Order: sequence, then structure tokens, then C-alpha cells
Amino acid sequence: MRLTPTLALRGVSKNFGMTAALTDMTLSLFPGEVHAIVGENGAGKSTMIKIMTGIHQPSSGVLEIDGSPVSLNGSKAARLRGVAAIYQEPMVFPDLDVTENIFISATSGLFLNRPAMRRAARDLIARIGMTLDVDRIASGLTLAEQQAVEIARALSQDVRVLIMDEPTASLSAHEATELRRIARQLANDGVSVVYISHRLEEVFELADRVSVIRDGRHISTKLVGETDPQTMIAEMVGREVGNYFTKMPSTATTETLLSVQGLSVDGVFEDISFDIKRGEIVAMAGLIGARRTDVGLALFGMLKPTAGAITYKGQPLKITSSREAIDAGIAYVSEDRRKLGLAMALPIRWNISLATLDKFLSPLGLINTGAEIATAWGYKQKLNIRTPNTEIAVGNLSGGNQQKVMLAKWLNMAPDLLIVDEPTRGIDVGAKAEVHALIRAFVAAGGAALVISSDLPEVLAMGDRILVMREGRQMAILNHDAASQQTIMALATGQKDAA
Amino acid sequence: MGLLHRLSPAALRILALLAVLAVVILFFSLQIEGYLNGRLFNRISSSVAIMALIATGQTLVILTRNIDLSVGSIVGFSAFATGSLISNNPDLNPFLLLLYSAAVGTGFGMINGALVAYARVPSIIVTLASMALFRSALVEYSNAKSITTETLPTWLTDFPNMPVLSIGTLEVRAGFAASLLVVILVHLCLTRLRPARALFAVGSNPEAADMAGIDAKRVVFAAFALSGLMAGLAGFMFLARFGNITVVAGLGFELKSVASSVVGGVNIFGGSGSVIGAFLGAVLVDLLETSLVRWAVVSEFWREAVLGALILLAVTTDTLLSRRLAKLRAKKSKEAAK
Repeated sequence: MRLTPTLALRGVSKNFGMTAALTDMTLSLFPGEVHAIVGENGAGKSTMIKIMTGIHQPSSGVLEIDGSPVSLNGSKAARLRGVAAIYQEPMVFPDLDVTENIFISATSGLFLNRPAMRRAARDLIARIGMTLDVDRIASGLTLAEQQAVEIARALSQDVRVLIMDEPTASLSAHEATELRRIARQLANDGVSVVYISHRLEEVFELADRVSVIRDGRHISTKLVGETDPQTMIAEMVGREVGNYFTKMPSTATTETLLSVQGLSVDGVFEDISFDIKRGEIVAMAGLIGARRTDVGLALFGMLKPTAGAITYKGQPLKITSSREAIDAGIAYVSEDRRKLGLAMALPIRWNISLATLDKFLSPLGLINTGAEIATAWGYKQKLNIRTPNTEIAVGNLSGGNQQKVMLAKWLNMAPDLLIVDEPTRGIDVGAKAEVHALIRAFVAAGGAALVISSDLPEVLAMGDRILVMREGRQMAILNHDAASQQTIMALATGQKDAA
Repeated sequence: MGLLHRLSPAALRILALLAVLAVVILFFSLQIEGYLNGRLFNRISSSVAIMALIATGQTLVILTRNIDLSVGSIVGFSAFATGSLISNNPDLNPFLLLLYSAAVGTGFGMINGALVAYARVPSIIVTLASMALFRSALVEYSNAKSITTETLPTWLTDFPNMPVLSIGTLEVRAGFAASLLVVILVHLCLTRLRPARALFAVGSNPEAADMAGIDAKRVVFAAFALSGLMAGLAGFMFLARFGNITVVAGLGFELKSVASSVVGGVNIFGGSGSVIGAFLGAVLVDLLETSLVRWAVVSEFWREAVLGALILLAVTTDTLLSRRLAKLRAKKSKEAAK
């Protein structure tokens, strides 16, 4: 290519104290390309984005825009140069409406011209092919809509390099497709799109070129046609990753642990019927809004069923609170680590013992710190949680390690039924494989798991049977052998009727 | 329902406040003989003239997820400093005097702002300390003397009571009018000026504000400086209204200003609210206070408790109502989308 790159990193390094986050990074972004960047968590992707968006300055090396060296001091400087980023968790202002959110960084003019702003906002939303009321308050928007607002904001500032960091990690399959369409459209309009994703199939579908980075270093940049997922994964982890995409044989026994008959919650979901045997993993697939999480919450006592029956260990299950569910041996691992799952400011040890504190009481009713530390350390070893000790605040760990702490917290309760909601959202391939192995080991030891996931390869890799939901209804329950990405998607989108 | 859906949440809140004000007035006029008259309006408007300014400044700070507990001390200091300046220079130009009080307040506000925004000390700590420090500075500065009405020029003490408009016994006085004008001006700035949007942005989502290229530190600093400015102006009004200034001037105003803002629908966690709301909040709090004094049913020992309970009730109702409303709206817009 003889084009001048819109943005280029030339031998950029970044050190934080003694730690080298990036070493001699070289990368060129051309106008009109979607450039995917893949790498494990901690590979240096965030640091690289922060350098491109002016939040960090390189310790050495040069950042070039249109072929000339620049130094970007702060995100404002980057935006003025046409570099913007959107993230997995959208950066919107919940109290402001769509129009105000789009034009929040605009600097021209002292007075706001509301009618003109609304018109311009509508045009921008239309330009990315969305329909959205520009007067709506952002707190009421879905994640996908919030991201659309962010993209519109970037467009309003004549974006030339748009960095999308894990944009589809929290979206349903349909919303993700829509977002990729927008990314492609922007590239066709001449924008350089940087696309960071853990979903490799998405990278292959969307990107023109893909760069792999590992340990802060550039490993390779190839046209997508010149590489394949196995090569890429090998480059990312520097080792072969075994069974991530491969289904392991089922360990299901004949003993039914949980049986759900016609379970309904008025206005939320209706007529859900399935059972789970000990040693079995049932995966629950569906788009966002399919109400899978609500089924999980109903089994965990946090949502009151209005009809139907639950049989658990051969007895009718009557629970009305999470406490009772825990006492009955049901654990629920939330999809939202930050809000529902972990106390981010508290040490790993406290988080692991939180749901089962009774186990650590001395006869006097005091917390037995020794036992607590021993247990936490045991999980650290067993689950390969990467941390020097268990006193570190969970918030300081990477996403994958946070997920492991959360699993440890619930596994420590020795549950019979483990409900896991989006177990590998936003974590890297290596950690994904580890989390999958943990869940498999749990059921192999006699437990049963209900895995809710929006990640189709994951659903297929985990589920001995797969329950597909759509808008609060059970569409089908498929045996693993009868399921494929196509059949699941057809059911989840309603293109194919319930069998 | 149609109307409810069309109105913005902010406008709805103002209407709700006005409704509550009407109910309170109706209630007390049934309970207290000769309650509703011009004197009631005059008394409340004179007192709100001061509190509205402080609550306006407080609102700006609360919008950014902070709080300013030093405003009472700033009012006291500004009132005293302004009083002693005019006592020593009786011929000073009134505008210069006003400017002086504003400058004193802004100076104190900038100290708070620098510590909160740039030294990153939580605002509740900074202003709790500066509340005491500014008060002590006043004690030191006053040298145990007081400002008395006799030493002030008559234009100053006459100003707040000068009628601008009278309807029977009901007078709109210059002090109140000036204060209302400032509130409206600030409101227009907040809703129409581009830089003001940053105030909401920082309080709504500080991280996103940073990403959007907004200098959050400068915004927070400015909010405190403006809060100081407002407290300085309130000090001027305080001096003009009371004439006699001691070292306890403005004591307790910080909590009353927070109460006014919160009752007026300003979200204590930042990001949403309006100064018109805070103004109405100040009116409501003052109305309750004044009315309770005259209501024989409540003994003076219980007055504070009743006032506190009423404020709590107002805020709780508001929170519950607006949450319901938000749910209703979400449902509506979902249905509309279908």
C-alpha cells in the first residue's frame, strides 16, 4: 500500500515505573480499513488505545497522524485530530438526552441552538442507519443504543480513526451484527476503524487486516485471508490452546437434579419446561431480551413465579429469597461482575468468603481469618487466579481473574446446581478455556450447571443440551448433536418456529 | 397521562413543587387565622432573597457530585467585610461595594475549588474544614467588633425593602427582585450555554466526561468559585437586610441551602437538577419554617423536628414518584417503539 497511514505507531514503548506495558509497538492504520487487534487481556491493548487517544503519552517512539509526528496531550487533543474511541461499557451521560450526549464535546459557539442540534443529531443517527428518538434520556437506552449515541458523537466531530474496544461483548447477536454493519459502513466512508474483540469469528467476518499483540509486543499483522483462527490463537497465547472450540463428552448421569414444569412470571417469561441431570450442562441461548437471566433469577428465588412447578432433588422447591436458594445448594453467578457479583474495593479473600461466611466462624462467632486465607489461597491455586496474594482488591485484577474469583466465591459454597450467566463475557481466550474447564470439572464431580450465554461457540462448546429462548418463550431444547450455530440463531430470531 | 408524557421530567418537577407549595399554603391558611396576607409574602420573600442565592451556588456544586458546606461562613465573612469597607468609606460607589462582596466570596470559593479539584480532597472534608476556618478567619478579622446599622449608609439598608411593585399590601421588594433576577439569569445560562453543559456531564458520568475531552477539574473548580461568588452576593444582601453583623452571621446557612436544593429536586448524587427548583425549594423550606412558628399546634421544641420530617417526606415522595414516572416512561417509549 502506498497510502499514507491515517495514524501510525512507530516503535512506541510505554513504561509504568518498572513495568513495560508496550515495547517497540509498530502499527499503521489506513483510511477505509477495518483493522482488528487481538490479544489476551493484559497484552497491552488498553495501553495502546490510551496512547492513540492521548490519555497516555509514549515513553519513547513516535505517534504519527497523516505521516507527521504529533504529540497528543489528553483526549481532547486526540478528538480534535479525529481520533475517538468507544468501549464495551458506553461512556454516556445518563442524565442527559440523546442530543445533548452527541454534542457534549462540541466546542463551537457559546449559545446552544437546540433545534439545530436536534436536527443534526437525527441526521447523524440516520447516517448510521439507526432509529432513535433524540429526546430520550440516555439512562433509558439499551447498551446498543448507547453505543450508537457514542458513534454519532464521534461522527459529529469528523472522526477519522474510530477505535472500538470490545464493542459487541455486551450485545445480543442481532445487535452485534448491526454494530458490525455500522463499522463496515464507516470504513467504506473512509474512516480507519480499529476493532478490538475477543470474538474471533467476528474478527474474521468484519476485518480487512488483523494484528496480534502479546506481552506488549507486536506479533503479526496479516490480511484476514492469510490467517486462520488456530494460527491466530496460537500467536495470541504463544502456546496451543486445547479445547476452547471443541465440545467435551457429556458426563450426564441418570439422576435428575432439577425439573422445571411450565414456569412463568407474568409479563416476563412463560411456560418454561426443562430438566437438568447431575453431571450435565444445559446451555441457555437466545438474544438479549430473551429473558434468560430472568429464568435464572426465578430459580435463584429472586423473581417470584406466577405459575408452574420446580422440582429439585425430588422435592417441590419453594424459595422466595436468594438466602433460601443458597441454603438449598443453588448458586447464581451473575453476568454483571461489577454490579451484582463482586465487591470491587474489597480483597479477593473477603469476596470468596462473602456468600459462605458461616463456614469460617470460630466457636466464639468471630471470623477465622486463617481458614479464610487458606481457602482463598486454595482457589487461587486451583483456578489459576493470577495474583501475588489474596489481599489484593478484586477491582485491580483483570476481567478473567475477576471472573475466576466470582466462580470461587460460589464454588466454595459447594452447590449442587450452578447457574452461570455469561461466564466469559469480555475475558480473553486463555481465561475462557480455563473457565470452561472449571465448569466441566464441577459437573463431572456430580454437580449440574445451567450456563446462560450469548456467545454461540461457547453455547455449543459447553451445552450437553441447549435451550433456546426468544422473547420470554422457550423455542426448543436441542441435543448437542442436533444443534448448530445456524439452528440456534434461526430459533432465537424467530425465523424458525418452536419444534 | 398525555400531558405527563409530553412534559420534560424537569418541568414536571417544577409543577410538582408548585403544587406542594399550594397545598402547604392552603393547609396553613385553614389552620391559622389571617395567615394569607401581604406580610407573609414580604417576610418570606425577604428571607428567600438571601437563601435563593446561596442555594443557587450550592446547586452548581451539587450538580458536579460535590457539596459546599462553607457557604454559611462565606456569607458571614462577606457580610462583615463588606460592612466594614462601607463603614470606613461611606462614599464608596455601590457597584464597587457589590463587586467587593462578590470578590471576597469568589476568593473563598476558589480556595475550596482548588483543594477539591486539584488536590483531590473530597469536597465534604474540604468544606467542613473550610467552614470552620473561614468562620475563625471572620472572628479574627472582626476583632470581636460588630457592624451596626448606624455605620451603614441609608441607601444600603433601604435597598432590600424598596418596593418595585406593589399590589395592595403585597410588595415585591428590590432585594427579592434582584435575587430572582440572578436565579433566572443563572437558569438561562445553565440551560442555554454550551460550557454549562459540562457541569451536568461531569456530575452525570465523570469518566465519560473525561473521555469526551471535558476538563473535569476546571469544571469543579468553577462550580466552587461560582458557589463562593453567590455566597458573597448573599453576604451583601444579608448586610443590607439586617445591618447588624456579628461573627455568627450566616451560621447554619450551609445546611439550609443543601435542604433547599434537595427539596427543589437537585439530585444529591449530581448530574440533574435546576436552580429554579432550588429556588422553589428555598421558598418551601422558608414557608414551612415561618408557618410552623405561627402554628399553635406545634410547640417550639418540636418545630425543628417537624421541619426535618417534612423535608424528609418531601424528598422521599419526590424520589419515589420520579422513579415510578421513569418506569412508566420507559414502558411507554418501549410500546411506542413497537
